[in-house]
Amino acid sequence: MIRVQTEDVDIGALVKAAKEPGTGAVVVFDGIVRDDGITEMELEAYADVAVAEMEKIAKEATAQFRLRHVDIIHRIGRLTVSENILIIVVSASHRPEAYAGSRYIIDEIKKSVPIWKKELTRDGGRWVAGEHGHGAGKH
Amino acid sequence: MTVKVRFFARFRELLGTDIPAEPEDGATLLSLVRDLALKKKEGYDAIFDGHGNFHEFVIVMRNGKRVEHDDVGAVKVADGDEIAVFPPVAGG
Repeated sequence: MIRVQTEDVDIGALVKAAKEPGTGAVVVFDGIVRDDGITEMELEAYADVAVAEMEKIAKEATAQFRLRHVDIIHRIGRLTVSENILIIVVSASHRPEAYAGSRYIIDEIKKSVPIWKKELTRDGGRWVAGEHGHGAGKH
Repeated sequence: MTVKVRFFARFRELLGTDIPAEPEDGATLLSLVRDLALKKKEGYDAIFDGHGNFHEFVIVMRNGKRVEHDDVGAVKVADGDEIAVFPPVAGG
């Protein structure tokens, strides 16, 4: 399941679904809103392109790390502190591939998926600077 | 010819988004976006440098595919195009 959506997800259900026959490890990455003196975080996506880019990343990770299953759910809209932003669930036959595949997916998402975050404070708001000067489909 | 221009994040706040435009035949990605952005100085300055070129960090897409800055002055827009302009991504 690769999605950009406002709703939260049931991580337990994703983990259960990832346990296909032959699976030896499931790794869950759950990125959440950090308490950086903000009231809320607002997330915006170029949704069609974001989903296409995440599907491409999932395909690359599956091939490179022999993953058995990949879910990526990136939330958008207004989120409060400690809410889930990004959930990545991967499964593999063995632990090293599952860890490496999960790490690859989050690193690639930060480079190329068109999503932006605005930290909202009592005084207004500030857009979070991207970690990569280019990104977004540059391959 | 009708096209749609989508700005995101800070650019959207400054210039709006999902803007329908009817550029003349021969319009390029650069001329289309420049004409729209000129309507608000703060928005124009956020996207373009003093020479009228996109700031180095600005990303331009045509129908979901990235167009390099070297090509934006040569690529002509076509009827039905969706042009997206946005700052560096910051998801995850």
